Amino acid sequence: MKEYVSLQPLILLKMTTTGKIELMAPAGNFESLQAALDNGADSVYFGVEQLNMRARASINFTIDDLPEIASRCEVNNVRTYLTLNTIIYDHDLSIVKTLLDEAKAANLTAVIAMDQAVIAYARQIGMEVHISTQINITNIETVKFYALFADTMVLSRELSLRQVKKICDQIEKEQIKGPSGNLVEIEIFGHGALCMAVSGKCYLSLHSHNSSANRGACKQNCRKKYTVIDQESGFEVELDNEYMMSPKDLCTLDFLDQVIDAGTKVLKIEGRGRAPEYVAKVIKTYREAIDAYYAEEYSEEKVEAWMGELKKVYNRGFWSGYYLGQKLGEWSEGSGSHATQKKVYVGKGMHYFPKANIGEFKIEAYDIKLGDTLLITGPTTGAQEVELSEMMVNDEQLEMASKGDSCTIKLPFRIRNSDKLYKIVKA
Amino acid sequence: MVVVTLQREKCIGCNYCVEMAPSEFQMSKKDGKSVLLHSKEKKGFYTLKSHDDSIFAECLQAQNACPVKIITTKKL
Repeated sequence: MKEYVSLQPLILLKMTTTGKIELMAPAGNFESLQAALDNGADSVYFGVEQLNMRARASINFTIDDLPEIASRCEVNNVRTYLTLNTIIYDHDLSIVKTLLDEAKAANLTAVIAMDQAVIAYARQIGMEVHISTQINITNIETVKFYALFADTMVLSRELSLRQVKKICDQIEKEQIKGPSGNLVEIEIFGHGALCMAVSGKCYLSLHSHNSSANRGACKQNCRKKYTVIDQESGFEVELDNEYMMSPKDLCTLDFLDQVIDAGTKVLKIEGRGRAPEYVAKVIKTYREAIDAYYAEEYSEEKVEAWMGELKKVYNRGFWSGYYLGQKLGEWSEGSGSHATQKKVYVGKGMHYFPKANIGEFKIEAYDIKLGDTLLITGPTTGAQEVELSEMMVNDEQLEMASKGDSCTIKLPFRIRNSDKLYKIVKA
Repeated sequence: MVVVTLQREKCIGCNYCVEMAPSEFQMSKKDGKSVLLHSKEKKGFYTLKSHDDSIFAECLQAQNACPVKIITTKKL
């Protein structure tokens, strides 16, 4: 304890440029990227092409998107991390090099890597390396080993905060430095989905669908409901909870002070597969909580209000992960989200009148009326929420707009014709 | 005739098709995705038409193994 007190000022000195713990946001697409930038992220991480842990479907950027991602982040002084953290086969080696060369050319901050081939080539071209949680670092000697190559390391998600703190303290004490010459920074997962397998190393999806979680193609078998049958008697075993493999979502907001005091430098928010309004809400909430901590305004009342905000967006219920020394996981109590709110599609953006700050929308589905909370999302707009206090419907001031109507709303931000308009309703 | 198609853009490079049908599929060293040999491309779909019916079984295995379901195999 004595040692902890004496190291405290040092820990603060070594914090990121803002002097605060770095808030890292997921960016599955341009909508989420913009939402992260608008809501106070210090850094973003994203996958490009197929070699990342969200390889499926349309939630990935392509190589051609790199310059735009980099320039949008640079303007906001936000760091950029490319995830290249799957298992790598021989036939991937060339695309690995291409991706890293392009990332370097676009001036991205670092690559998040698991495979030694990725680490080695990134170092060869002088690119900063962060060690993925997939490597499952659980002790100081492993930190020392990877310090030969990496400046930031994500620890195993199964460690307790006490163990995390010990590693952080030891980095200070032994002055363990990465290739940049600075002390190695420890990153932990702060919020979002957890997986029942150790550091995501799961075989279930490969067994059932040939679809490897370790190639970013997880089919999420663990999120389903299961029964257990005694084959001998044919009787079904009674279970407290049929979602026996689906952990609740991790949330560290209510003990964020302990997370920061442990000496972690980066707080990663999970969710590259989640919606832009999720990124907006979670980043905004954690931003406020982090700032409140440093302003010595982090309080129980505030935590309660923030938790209410977090519950509005997609979640499977929350638990503290293994950080507070839990023996076993807590399992979700139903399928899908427990969010208290959801969005329903209303219509699309048509035009923006910049002088008057007015956006025009075409209503294609649900009605909207004064007092509604609207959500507007788009690749450049991100995810913006507004209260509807007045609007013009087909050039008349009305209280309600319905399908087929054209309506104009005063907005403090620009909208585009690629934008979608939703309203937020109770789930 | 056997007709095999591959929707290449969605490939995640897992290598299963090559394991199942090594004479028809190969992994590209350029972009790490699967290549359907001797196929013709149209709007992102690569089609192989073969008079050798003996390839059907292994191409069907590749179709069934593909985790992202981008291979189809038909016997005409």
